[in-house]
Amino acid sequence: MSVQMPRWIMRFLTSPRELLIFLAGGVCAFGAMGIGAVVVIEGGIFNATASTPHLAVVAVAAHTAFIRSVEVRAAGVKPPARFAPAEVAAGFRDYDASCAVCHGAPGIAQARWASAMTPPPPYLEDAARRWRPRELYWIVGQGVKMTAMPAWAEVRSDGQVWNLVGFLEALPYLTAADYQHLRAEARSAGGAKTNH
Amino acid sequence: MLAIVCATPLSGCVRRPAAHTWAKFGGNPGQGALLVGRFSCGACHEIAGVEGAIGQVGPPLSTFGERTMIAGVLPNTPENLVRWLRHPQSVVPGNAMPDVGLTDAQARDVAAWLYRKH
Repeated sequence: MSVQMPRWIMRFLTSPRELLIFLAGGVCAFGAMGIGAVVVIEGGIFNATASTPHLAVVAVAAHTAFIRSVEVRAAGVKPPARFAPAEVAAGFRDYDASCAVCHGAPGIAQARWASAMTPPPPYLEDAARRWRPRELYWIVGQGVKMTAMPAWAEVRSDGQVWNLVGFLEALPYLTAADYQHLRAEARSAGGAKTNH
Repeated sequence: MLAIVCATPLSGCVRRPAAHTWAKFGGNPGQGALLVGRFSCGACHEIAGVEGAIGQVGPPLSTFGERTMIAGVLPNTPENLVRWLRHPQSVVPGNAMPDVGLTDAQARDVAAWLYRKH
């Protein structure tokens, strides 16, 4: 054969024959991975129970994929310049009625059954320190696959989702006593006005 | 109260309860590791080796066995740690850590795991 191979390939593979063997090896490797995937899926080898934690490698891969997915997709979202106190208060009422049961609150545990999920829902006290407002908006509104986190945008208005983000931004500044105070205030104001 | 001993006082190591002390105290560290994931401890605490445990709400737990005080108010002994893990709201009312509903046996498992961490 008189095929002229590019110079950069020649640095690793010195002849067309070696290149062919290399490519054949690659095809075989992909084939083996495909067969492996079918065996794991069809053979019931993947353990889909919530009573067992993810394998560490699966947890890291899934968590990283989630973080990157949010960062990339929320990049174009424009957050409001600021959250008005009334919006944060509305966000609190919605959070207390619909989110705290799974995510807890300062000094308040998540429901015992919520921690039986896999992955268990996280507490959100410092979520605003890890995520930008536009990313929180994306997570709350669009939900998270295979975690039981719903896409709240399907049952809340855009403004209501932003109210929740406004509350999450305030959460790192709230003590357990503050949270109880907000609850008492909301109750004396005629109870929580939220959509279920 | 359990004696706090160090096997090699001259090596410059930090004094930790010896393994035999923990055997007597009870608690399964392997089970404790699972519970730490279950109850989302990592959402508020940084814990080396636990996936996603990067929380900065409470103190880091990677070297908990070396800490002198629990929550700044209880000497760090196994009994006190179990008490704190089960009822943080009774020990320090109004602090951010909730009573998550650990049973006594579960709290012992978590305690055993926390003390084993280095």
